Amino acid sequence: MATATGIHHRTYRSELRLRHTKAEYFRLALMLVLLLAAPYVLDKYWLGIANVILISVIGAVGLNILVGFTGQISLGQGGFLAVGAFTSVIISDRAGVPVPISIAIAVLMTAAVGAFFGLPALRLKGLYLAIATLASQEIIMFVVRRWEWLTEGKGYLEVERLHVGGFQVERQMFEVQWYWILLALATLAVVVARNLFRTTLGRSFMAVRDQDIAAEAIGVNITRAKVTAFAVSSGFVGLAGALTAHYTETVTWERFTLDVSVLYLAMIIVGGLGSIAGAVYGAIFMGLLPALLTELVDVLGSSLPSLSDQLPALRNAVFGIAIIVFLLVEPRGLDRIWTRMKDYVRFWPFRY
Amino acid sequence: MKFSTRIAAVATTAAAALALSACGGAATDTSPGDGGSGDTAPIKIGIIADRTGATGDVGTPYNDGMLGYIDWINAKGGIKGHQIDADSNDYAYLVPRAEELYKKYVNDGAVAIQGWGTGDSEALRTKVAADKLPFMSASYAEPLTDPKQSAYNFVVAPTYSDQMRVALNWIAKDAGGKAEVAVFHNDSPFGLAPVADGQKWVTEKGLNLGYKAYPMPKTPNQVGLLTQAKSQGAKYIVIQNVSSPAAQVAKDIKAQGLDMKIVCLNWCSDELFIKTAGADNAEGHVMVQPFAPPTAEKPGHKVIDDYLKSKGSSLADKGLHYAQGWYTMDVMAKGIEKALDAGGELTGESIKKALESVSVDTGGVVGAGTVSFTADSHRGSTGTGIYEVKAGQMVELAANQTPES
Repeated sequence: MATATGIHHRTYRSELRLRHTKAEYFRLALMLVLLLAAPYVLDKYWLGIANVILISVIGAVGLNILVGFTGQISLGQGGFLAVGAFTSVIISDRAGVPVPISIAIAVLMTAAVGAFFGLPALRLKGLYLAIATLASQEIIMFVVRRWEWLTEGKGYLEVERLHVGGFQVERQMFEVQWYWILLALATLAVVVARNLFRTTLGRSFMAVRDQDIAAEAIGVNITRAKVTAFAVSSGFVGLAGALTAHYTETVTWERFTLDVSVLYLAMIIVGGLGSIAGAVYGAIFMGLLPALLTELVDVLGSSLPSLSDQLPALRNAVFGIAIIVFLLVEPRGLDRIWTRMKDYVRFWPFRY
Repeated sequence: MKFSTRIAAVATTAAAALALSACGGAATDTSPGDGGSGDTAPIKIGIIADRTGATGDVGTPYNDGMLGYIDWINAKGGIKGHQIDADSNDYAYLVPRAEELYKKYVNDGAVAIQGWGTGDSEALRTKVAADKLPFMSASYAEPLTDPKQSAYNFVVAPTYSDQMRVALNWIAKDAGGKAEVAVFHNDSPFGLAPVADGQKWVTEKGLNLGYKAYPMPKTPNQVGLLTQAKSQGAKYIVIQNVSSPAAQVAKDIKAQGLDMKIVCLNWCSDELFIKTAGADNAEGHVMVQPFAPPTAEKPGHKVIDDYLKSKGSSLADKGLHYAQGWYTMDVMAKGIEKALDAGGELTGESIKKALESVSVDTGGVVGAGTVSFTADSHRGSTGTGIYEVKAGQMVELAANQTPES
């Protein structure tokens, strides 16, 4: 139960709930209203950005499971996205498998590839593991660039417009229809991840992160936990990759470079490591940043024309500054900032 | 205290809703109407440019040329009284960024798009067809010329594959029939575009040429690649890349004392290659270039030079990519003009239709001089010049070469 002095539980059941206060349910309802209203309020351009953010949410949640919850740092995100994208498109467009099934296969395939590249994690930690995952990124990039069979020697893949059974995404409604599809899948991904950490498996991930030796002493199978974390995380990332492919309708290796891995790491750092909500906030923040910068430069462009010439450099600079500021001011990211704001309001006039 | 939480939540929602509605609102449709006498609505065109990315060295003058043309025609009163309202943004050669810009332009009500690279042109190909927006770019990849595959893409210059065929014909002739050819290409869809077609050409025409392709690494020297080409026995190196890496190859050939001749396709056939490599290192290398360099002094160069002189610059300073951007924009403008002549509302569809019957005289600057499209072919021209670097200048060896000539 929630009182002015904090939240207190009298039963284990109440402690295990996902939401403890009426205010939380209230906010959830508001968020739902906003998400459902978005396609009717936003124009195509902003809806397009929202769709990209929804895909990023799935990818960021996946990466946060690995980095934030299990403490296994990974620079291989771009590569795993590529595995998901290429797998789904090749299976659906060349073998004629329906897209939902091809996406499911892509998720499993990416999970398997992730588990394989997670094997070094059994021996390595921290920086060494980061380098191993960097190697996985480079190996996957090498394969998708050099294995001509993948793109039939063209260097890129064209993807058929999404059709499932009799349903076909149509041009005029493209962004709106995709919004509903992506919103449903992003919601599913967030709910699954949120609940994952109330299970034995999810808790074993966190035990590995917090103190792996102690975790082993109390019976956590570290080997299994680490490899499973890589597999589960990569599964989410594979889903994001497959959706990227079907949504953008082209697949090129250029979309999955190391920059993308770094961008996703930035998302979860800015959002908050080890928090599902943080991954969502980070994806939104990093997704909106370039678009809002473009708008800002457009507004200031007339008075400062040199700004628009420097836009790409400016974007990189702002991106870097944002990460530094978060690391300095609030290493636990947007999620922690939001929690502090809520606490301030809830405990007022007390400090805590 | 729950009360204040609720107030905070309501306030947050209100703020979010305001922000959402600020972002929203449909794009205002200001496309020129059916040419009524008082109708002078500006014509919106979106430009996706690379000024700071991997191909920024040649992308910047190209983009400047486009903007120069727009400035020039607007100063003359625009197209039939309509000013061109161009939104030009740098995408730094990043495909996702190009997609983002494209969405923005569509939303702003652009009636045509000027793109840049092969990667983004391929990525946007299905989208421009679905959105019915004519799309020109500086990518001369073969699939973009076929209206069946790319209904709304228009290619003003001979394709990379055609340039490659011309280059191979020239090599066969220059070598007296038998030679080993190494193809150094940018490691991207742009670089790969002519590679397979070149191999096909050698086989089809029964040319006695060894042919091997090598993706160029992003290292500051190409010695490793040259070593591979040397062991292949290559005497000719066809380069499908931009000027800076190609100039590095020229420098390394000289430094290694190798007997090899570079044959550049259009993106390294320019003044920048000569300047970066140094006239001494560039000497004797060959360039396949459909766009006449300023030194060729074609009649079509004059209008650009006059405009630039009025701005205190000159075409000789800006180089051939400036003229390339200028005339690409000119072809699009001529299409728009024809669409306005036809009456009715100016839409992407009406511009496409007009472009399919347009014939633009570029005063000898592009290909054989004239760029024209038909409903069955969006290949604007087939002829390309071949130049040799002599004393730091591009000297014409042959004009208007086609694969069959």
